[in-house]
Amino acid sequence: MNGSTHDEMRETEPKRVKVYILENNEWKDTGTGFCVGRISSNDQESSKRSDKCSNLAAYLMVNDEEAPDRVLLWSRLEGNIEYQRQEETLIVWKDLTGQDIALSFEESTGCDALCEFIIQVQKSMETYISLVAVRSNDDGMGSVHEIITGPVNLPSNEHQQDEKTLMEALKILNENTAFEYLRNETMEFVLKSDYINTLIAVFEAAEHNHLHRDLLLLSNIIKTLTLYNQRELLEQMVDDEHVLGVVGILEYDTEFPTSKANHREYLQHSGPNFKEVIPLQSEEMKSIIKKTYRLQFLKDVVLVRFLDDHSFNLISDVILDLQTCIIDFVQTDAFLSRLMEIYTGQNKDHEQEKKRDGIRMLHQCVQITKNLEPVEKSKFFKALVRKGLFNVFDFAFNVEKDSSIRILATDMVITIIEHDILLINTVNNELRHQNEVLDEEQQHASQQKTDIVRSSMSSDVSLLLILSKILLTDKSLGLKEQIVQALNTLLHPEGCMGGDSNYDGGNMDIIMNFYGDGKGGDNKISGEISNDNLSFQMAEYFGNFYKEVAPILFEPLLGDSICESNDDILLIYLVKLISFIATEHNRRISREFILEKGILTKMAKLMDPSHIMQLRLTVLRCLKNIICLNDEYYHRYMMSKNLYDPMFHLLRENLNKDNLANSSMLDFFRIISSQCSQTEEMSAHEKNNFMIMNRFLVKKYGYLLQQVDYVPYTKEMIRLSEEHKEAVAAADEDVKMGLADGTQSHIKDGKRTFSEAQESSESTSSGTYSSSSGGASSSGGEESLTFKRAMDKISAVSPPTSIAEDVLRESQNSDNADT
Amino acid sequence: MKLDDTIDSLRQGKHIPEETVYSLCLKSQELLMNEANVTHVDTPVTICGDIHGQLHDLLTLFDKSGGIEKNRYIFLGDFVDRGFYSLESFLLLLCYKLRYPDRITMIRGNHETRQITKVYGFYDEIVRKYGNSNVWRYCCEVFDYLSLGAIINDRIFCVHGGLSPDVTTINQIRSIDRKQEVPHEGAMCDLLWSDPDDVDTWSLSPRGAGFLFGRNEVEQFLHKNKFELIARAHQLVMEGYKEMFDGGLVTVWSAPNYCYRCGNVAAVLRVEDDLDRNYMIFEAVQAQDGVGNAIIPTKKPQMDYFL
Repeated sequence: MNGSTHDEMRETEPKRVKVYILENNEWKDTGTGFCVGRISSNDQESSKRSDKCSNLAAYLMVNDEEAPDRVLLWSRLEGNIEYQRQEETLIVWKDLTGQDIALSFEESTGCDALCEFIIQVQKSMETYISLVAVRSNDDGMGSVHEIITGPVNLPSNEHQQDEKTLMEALKILNENTAFEYLRNETMEFVLKSDYINTLIAVFEAAEHNHLHRDLLLLSNIIKTLTLYNQRELLEQMVDDEHVLGVVGILEYDTEFPTSKANHREYLQHSGPNFKEVIPLQSEEMKSIIKKTYRLQFLKDVVLVRFLDDHSFNLISDVILDLQTCIIDFVQTDAFLSRLMEIYTGQNKDHEQEKKRDGIRMLHQCVQITKNLEPVEKSKFFKALVRKGLFNVFDFAFNVEKDSSIRILATDMVITIIEHDILLINTVNNELRHQNEVLDEEQQHASQQKTDIVRSSMSSDVSLLLILSKILLTDKSLGLKEQIVQALNTLLHPEGCMGGDSNYDGGNMDIIMNFYGDGKGGDNKISGEISNDNLSFQMAEYFGNFYKEVAPILFEPLLGDSICESNDDILLIYLVKLISFIATEHNRRISREFILEKGILTKMAKLMDPSHIMQLRLTVLRCLKNIICLNDEYYHRYMMSKNLYDPMFHLLRENLNKDNLANSSMLDFFRIISSQCSQTEEMSAHEKNNFMIMNRFLVKKYGYLLQQVDYVPYTKEMIRLSEEHKEAVAAADEDVKMGLADGTQSHIKDGKRTFSEAQESSESTSSGTYSSSSGGASSSGGEESLTFKRAMDKISAVSPPTSIAEDVLRESQNSDNADT
Repeated sequence: MKLDDTIDSLRQGKHIPEETVYSLCLKSQELLMNEANVTHVDTPVTICGDIHGQLHDLLTLFDKSGGIEKNRYIFLGDFVDRGFYSLESFLLLLCYKLRYPDRITMIRGNHETRQITKVYGFYDEIVRKYGNSNVWRYCCEVFDYLSLGAIINDRIFCVHGGLSPDVTTINQIRSIDRKQEVPHEGAMCDLLWSDPDDVDTWSLSPRGAGFLFGRNEVEQFLHKNKFELIARAHQLVMEGYKEMFDGGLVTVWSAPNYCYRCGNVAAVLRVEDDLDRNYMIFEAVQAQDGVGNAIIPTKKPQMDYFL
């Protein structure tokens, strides 16, 4: 249509459009045609101007579609015209004569093309025009304006500035945060022209001349810049060149105009120092480490009262990225190997302090992984274990006596096992497995043997053992707290089974790696080893716990224990752990341990008034939890030993006091009455544990219960007992007698009594699982034999879905058959 | 004597050694154990709402309301999280409690739990100040022993959050074994989490724990227990306090300029012998260097760093 007749003349593709002008407040359609953006010589001013460049002018031009020679619109882009793009297809503006014009495009792509033209013109020729996008709000009320292009006010970049220019700069920077376009332009300026350095230069002069208002303005300028949420700028602020200047400026604060912080002094002298256990060879890494630290300082100290959530999160994200870099570096570089060498036998001359620093550093590494992705964590932790983390633990737990270092080591253990409980063991096994495989390949050993070797290794309880011994011996209370947390995690069956793992593929990932690494010999093992194997490992793991660790860990609670511990704080931890294993572990295994070792009897003695109330109440809670299991064996045992007596002794002490002990007993009565009421509704009295217990308690302690007249539960207990008595009087005569005179002869209605087993184990002083359950306690011995046999059988065949359960079912059956 | 030294240090925001914290916590447990789930308190008494680690505003609170030496106080919980001095605020109250056992009652707030403090600042504060989390554990153990409510002169019921559909009488609260992490549901949870609102009956709370309760529930509870007022905290009130339901319930908020940016004033409620209510309003302390309320809070890393 309009070919380029001149070098300078450029034109966009024609786009179909309707042209409107505003007349008397009404938009008037002036016709439909094709719109182009054209740059051509200025028809009016070309004669006056001499320089070629200003000869050019930009126009929006529309030719009538019916009569292409007829020009519907010829409008110059000039002055400070603001073009509005409204919705998708409209461009609306008021020209310099005051005429309102609108172009309605047939297609949004047409509108796009002309908008792009306006942007180009703004950038290269008419810098004062602007283009603004206007969209109606989501709710249909009002509209959103967003600057697409336009003139940008920028602060002065002069090194000589005064209050006025700084005030102007602050104003501009504040205004420019309002629109993304202005923000981007401003940031580009700040970064490209090293504006921060300008500010620092101005700051140094102002500080030298004690220009207090200038200093406050500068501080506000820096703060405003942080609100731009620009990552590159943040990193620039904390690099070696700028950091002191930036925190120096931030020492002044309008909110506290009369005081000054001392960030520079802190960073340079009084604050923490960057230390290197092993010299870092990479300067870049050093710089990243320092930047990370300084950003944290900025976030947590310098700007702590200032940052909004958005900026806070941005800084946190930058820190996270840098930390990811650091963790990457630590595990890929030879750095970690060099660090671990400190702890290996070959380097005995390394002084103690260096080893301590190494632990402090590793602890920091493990700490900063807390925010990383689970996959990254696994990778890093595995690298640590492979490179010899156990040597570090060995030093911390066996050589080091300083509790603060042990605390750090334990904290690492906790972080790692809470992330993935199997990680330490499986990686260790993987290492040993690799060695084994090499041997076996030479020996052409059978697949079966591999399985047995592997399973016995994967149920390694040495970590549990170390932790247990520290819990019993170390004097640091903080460390004890930590150890208990670690034990809780390590002993959590769901965690071990990957059941409540808080991310996908954690445990399995490792297991699969373990078999699928292709590092030798693995190809003969199919990839089908999966959850079954895991269940199997866990059954054995817990088996080993009860055999090797529990007797040591719970030594002070054993019925035949010779050591009378009076460390009530330690006993509290142990009682809590008993409560935990009784409620969370496989019932049969934990119950067997608890009852045969006489732990409940011993625990009940800890309710004696000679112990601190915290311990007495912890025991009460533990017994309540066990009662709530509604387990016939436990219920029978507790009645036969009358373990309720110390509970009611506690009640008698606190009968008319409104305190925690009293409330804890009321809670107990509430549980009993509600359990019994439920049973009553289901009319299944006869065999119910709670009904039987209730009758036992009312008979024995009714006189006390009657005095507890301030809650309804005790009355309910007494009522239920009366009714129950009538209901089962005839059928249950022998049981009643048995309970009343405290003998167990009548309770043996076809089921083994644990009290018997317990008594017999009291006669054997040896502490281990197998020997105490052998001897006089024939059924116990049978059981554990059956258990072992079942295990052996299972290790020889491919395991079914849930081995642990099957094993139990099997031995349960044989148990019943035996008696 | 040593307790007074610790109080001095705490008032200045100084570092307290881990062992001192431990023994404070243990002694506090012994004291708190002997208290009821719902403690009885006599007038005159000053009721204080959320503190949230704003130590210096807590000091103002004591200054302006007459001081612990001569007055009785009930704190409605939320001693920790958000502010920069959670530990010092909580320990100061514990020290006062040890020093003047009958002058101060501390009720548990929804922030006095392991789960919440891990997210809202107290845990991080401890790790920053001590390099490990032991002190946090000690404090959390004490949280478990805190009372769940208080009753003034048999007429005013004090609680952190509000009512629970599971609680119609005070003896129902008495039958809770309170020494536990706050559960996710049930009476103990509701007492710490619920809010009053303009609702006809028990409604779901947007907080995800506790309930919303309205005029009906308040009036029934007051009538049944022969109370005249429920005093609670738990919600920011820009004016420091807010009475609802014809004066049957009041929210008291004692953290001025909450989070150092909300711009609100704070209040405490003094209840006289004749149960007259007097509100005392106070504003946030200006931060100053040298008096412990430095511009830089003690949010500094304490140790050398390797990374």
